[in-house]
Amino acid sequence: MHTLRQISALMRLSLFDLYRRKDLVVVALLTVVLLVPLSFATPFGVKGASRYLNEIALLLVWIFVLAIAMTRTARILPTEIESRTIYPLLSKPASRTVILFGRYAGVLLASLSVLFLFYFLYALINNLKSALFPWEVFAQAFLLHASFIILVTALALLGSLYFNPDANLSVMGILIVSMFLYGQQLPVLASEHALPIRTLIHTFYWFAPHCELFDMRTRLIHHWPAIPWGVCCMIFLYALTYAGLCFGAAAWLFNRKKI
Amino acid sequence: MSSVITIDHVSKAYGTCQAVSDLTLSLNSGEILGFLGANGAGKTTTIKMLLGFFAPDNGQIAVYGQNPSDATTRQRVGYMPETAYYYPYLNIHELLSFYGGLCGMSADLIRQRSEELIVQTGLEHAGKRLLKTYSKGMLQRAGIAQALLHDPDLLILDEPFTGLDPLARIQLRDLILDLKTKGKTILFSSHELSEAELMCDRVAIMKAGRLVLDKPVKEVVCDGNTNLERIFLHVLQSS
Repeated sequence: MHTLRQISALMRLSLFDLYRRKDLVVVALLTVVLLVPLSFATPFGVKGASRYLNEIALLLVWIFVLAIAMTRTARILPTEIESRTIYPLLSKPASRTVILFGRYAGVLLASLSVLFLFYFLYALINNLKSALFPWEVFAQAFLLHASFIILVTALALLGSLYFNPDANLSVMGILIVSMFLYGQQLPVLASEHALPIRTLIHTFYWFAPHCELFDMRTRLIHHWPAIPWGVCCMIFLYALTYAGLCFGAAAWLFNRKKI
Repeated sequence: MSSVITIDHVSKAYGTCQAVSDLTLSLNSGEILGFLGANGAGKTTTIKMLLGFFAPDNGQIAVYGQNPSDATTRQRVGYMPETAYYYPYLNIHELLSFYGGLCGMSADLIRQRSEELIVQTGLEHAGKRLLKTYSKGMLQRAGIAQALLHDPDLLILDEPFTGLDPLARIQLRDLILDLKTKGKTILFSSHELSEAELMCDRVAIMKAGRLVLDKPVKEVVCDGNTNLERIFLHVLQSS
């Protein structure tokens, strides 16, 4: 009960931040500006071409949600330390692990709220446009996108204990984009090299986050069939496990950090 | 009187800089201790060790007989940092609600204590304003309110008079003396020697990480011809 109250207080703080800084208004405006024109436009009068514009809109949604989630997570601890709010925070009868978890969960909740808003408006607009909206794929796309956010925010949290916010965002950005673009090529690349390098590439392949698993945009845009729910749940569990390991490492470091 | 704080031969260094050297000090229940010293004397480092932010390199620290890094120990401790820029997007009610939640207090208790403390610290007229609009003195008052919220037995105040106007200083002094009558134990670090002289039972003076004086105020200022300020200068120059 005591710990739940502490976590709930820490989570509320992130939501206040999101609401008071008017971030939600910016997100809502962004969604409308991005999704409405791109979803309704028919370029060159070609039927079906609007799907590609829809894909661009979804890609922008991915980029914006990622940027919001990563910047917020990367700045949790540095901002607390810089503004010295960390001192009264640590002087309260809450363990450092609880403080870290509460702040992380708050930022995660705020980021998922933004994601939900984007997806809600996307579904609304596309449902108005066409009666054949692929609800099952849409639900899977949302679940996997949320899983992706859980994973990358935990990674950014861990990074925030090593790097300053700018360096953290750059390193994580490069890692995530690289894994999106080249993640699947790594085993092929490994097979083309001799032993020490091959092992290195394989090790990196198994330890790096497999961001490509979470992307359902193409299925959603082109109305392809849903993936089996078992696979979807496995990917969700993969994200939870990866995030759990990152959070555990971050908590271990935070408990030893001299503030 | 039982010992609330026990510092036993404690040392702490930041790299090659020795912040605290072989410090031995104790604070009894119901006492007000003025922890004095020039900038860089080691006061804040000692306070951070008392709050369990980090462990000493050598020696032992106990607060109510327990390790200060235990969360349960901090249940009995209230702390006001030297300068804190509290969350600018909250108002004082929300700030206290947040810290109350961290202390595990129920919503009703938080509401009741917040209202009392907002009046006590003179912030009732600014209750709905966001903290980003507060002056430095008002933020100090907010800091005092958050430190007292969970009704701690031991209060650690780091430079509490910084940025306060004369009226607020008197109010804070009265508040501290009122807390003493309620049996609270108070440690405050300060450069404000006049305040220490008016309020403290005992003063401890630090210089370059070492304790150079630890005596009751009455013994220090005994001849009536001199004040704590002169003694402070004398001690720092002679040691």
